[in-house]
Amino acid sequence: MTIKVDRVKEYEALLDIYEREGLDTSLFGDRIAAIIISGERIIGLNNVPGVEITGEEMENGVRADVRIADGVELPFPIHLCTGYLKSEGYQRVEFNIVVGKNSKVKFTSHCIFPYAKDFTHEAISRITVGENSSVLYDDEHVHGEGVRMISKTEVEVGKGGRYTGRFSLTKHRARELKLEMTAKLADRAIAELTSKVKAVKDDSVEIKEVLLLEGAHSRGDLKSTVIAFDESRVNVVNEAYGLGDYAKGHVECHEIVKGEADVQTVPLLRVRNDKAELTHEASIGRINEAQLVQLMAKGLTEEEAAELIIKGLLGE
Amino acid sequence: MLCLRNVGYSKDGRTILRSINMTFREGMSYSILGPNGAGKSTIARVLMGELKPTEGQVFLDGKDLTGLGVTERAKLGISMTWQEPARYEGIRVREYLTLGGKLKVDEDEIRDALELVGLPYELYANRLIDKTLSGGERKRIELASLLLLKPRYAILDEPDSGLDITAGELIERLLDRFRKTGTTLILITHHEEIAGKTDFAYFVCAGRLVKKGFSREVVEYYRRTCGRCLFVEGSP
Repeated sequence: MTIKVDRVKEYEALLDIYEREGLDTSLFGDRIAAIIISGERIIGLNNVPGVEITGEEMENGVRADVRIADGVELPFPIHLCTGYLKSEGYQRVEFNIVVGKNSKVKFTSHCIFPYAKDFTHEAISRITVGENSSVLYDDEHVHGEGVRMISKTEVEVGKGGRYTGRFSLTKHRARELKLEMTAKLADRAIAELTSKVKAVKDDSVEIKEVLLLEGAHSRGDLKSTVIAFDESRVNVVNEAYGLGDYAKGHVECHEIVKGEADVQTVPLLRVRNDKAELTHEASIGRINEAQLVQLMAKGLTEEEAAELIIKGLLGE
Repeated sequence: MLCLRNVGYSKDGRTILRSINMTFREGMSYSILGPNGAGKSTIARVLMGELKPTEGQVFLDGKDLTGLGVTERAKLGISMTWQEPARYEGIRVREYLTLGGKLKVDEDEIRDALELVGLPYELYANRLIDKTLSGGERKRIELASLLLLKPRYAILDEPDSGLDITAGELIERLLDRFRKTGTTLILITHHEEIAGKTDFAYFVCAGRLVKKGFSREVVEYYRRTCGRCLFVEGSP
C-alpha cells in the first residue's frame, strides 16, 4: 500500500475505526487492491496484477477509475474505503468501475463517517460487468448521527455476466438516505440488488431500485428490507421492466414498522414482451404474529423474539 | 399436572370448544385425536396461552395459569410446536435452536437433537430457516428445538403432517426420548396410528370431548366410528 507521508495519521485513524467497528483490517494489507479516501484526498492506493486503480482528487472529493482486466479471478476483495473524519462538510466520490470479460471479482466498499454531525456524502458509481464476468459488491456503512447520504449506482451487466449488489446500513443511523440502484441486463445476464436499512428516530430513507431486463433470458431480483422505528419515514420504490424474451424478474420488499414510523412501498412491474415474466412480493407492518408467538413458546419475551427476528432480517 | 377445567372457547359468536376437561400427568404421553375442525389445535393453543379460554380455567400443579401469556407459560415448562412452523429470514438453524444464544447447549447436543429428528448435523446446522427449507424439514427443526429445550410439557400440533413415510418412526423416537427426559408429551393428531403410540388419548369432536382413556381403547372407538362425531347434544 502506498501511503502519502503527510497522511499517515488519517490512515491510522481509519484503521482504528475499522478495529473499533469490528471491520476487517486485513483489507489494508499489501495483497489487497485498494483505494483509501479521506475527505477530498487519496491517502492510500494499492494495485495488484489484473487490477488498475487510478484516482484524482477534486475540490470536494475524489474520482476513481477501477479497471479489471479480462480473465482475472481475485482471491481477495477489492477494497474501496471512503472516509470522512470531520463532523461537518461535503464529500463527493465518483467511481467508474470496468470489469473485463470472464473475470470474477468482489468489492468491499466501506463508507466511514463516524463523527458526522452535519455532513453530506454523495457517491456516484458506474459499474460495467463484462461478458461472463461475475461481480459481488458489498457496501457497508459506519455513520455518525448526522449524515445526509445520496448514493447512485448504475450497473450494466454484459452477456452471461452476473452482478450482486448488497447495501447495508443497519448498525448506525441512516438520518437522511437517498439510495438509487439501477441494473441493466444483457442476454443471459443476472443481477441481484439487495438493500437492508434500519431507520430510527426521525430518519428519512428513500430507496429506489430499478431492474431493466433488456436481454433475452436475463434474470434479476430486487430485494429491500427496512426496519422503521420511532418517527422515521421510509419510501421504497422497486421497479422492474421485462423487456427481453424470457426475461424473468422478482421484486421483494419487506418492511417492519414499530412506533410512529411512516412507511410506504411502491412496486412497479412493467412488461413489454409477452415472453417475459415478473413477480412481486411485499409485506409491510408489524412483525409477523406467528413468528413472535412460536419463539415466545420457547421462553423468549416478545421483545427478545422481535429482536432476534429483526436481527435475522437485517443479516446482523 | 397440567389440567383444563370446563374450558370453553368462542370466537365471533361461534363456539369452538365446550366444557373441555383434560388432565396431563407428568411423564406420560397423550394424544388429542379427532377429525379436521374438531377443535384440537384450539385446545393446544389454549394450553400454550396463545388463546385465552372464554370459559373455564387452565391449571398447572394446582395454580391457575389462565391469565398467563405464552412466555410465562414457557418459563413454567410448557412448550409447543405448531402445525405450520414459521420461517425466519436470516436466522440459521443453530441460532434458532439456541434462541440466539440464550439457550445454553453445546454442539454435541445440537447434533444429537438434529440427528434424532433425521436431519444430518453437517447439512443443517448452518442452513437458514427460510423458504429454502421444505415444510417437512422445517417441522423436524421445530421438533429438534423442543428436544433441546426439554420442557416439562411438550405440545406437538400435528407433528406428522408434511413429513414423509418415516413420520411414524420419528414419533416413536420422540416418545422414547421424551420418556427419558421425563417430558409429558401432548400430541395433536387426526391419525389413529400416531395416536396409538401414546399412553392415553382424548377423542375430540365438534369442540366436545367424546372419549378418553388408554390410547388403544380410544383409537379403537375412533376406528369404529370412522372418526365421525357421534356426540349427541346433551349426552354426558
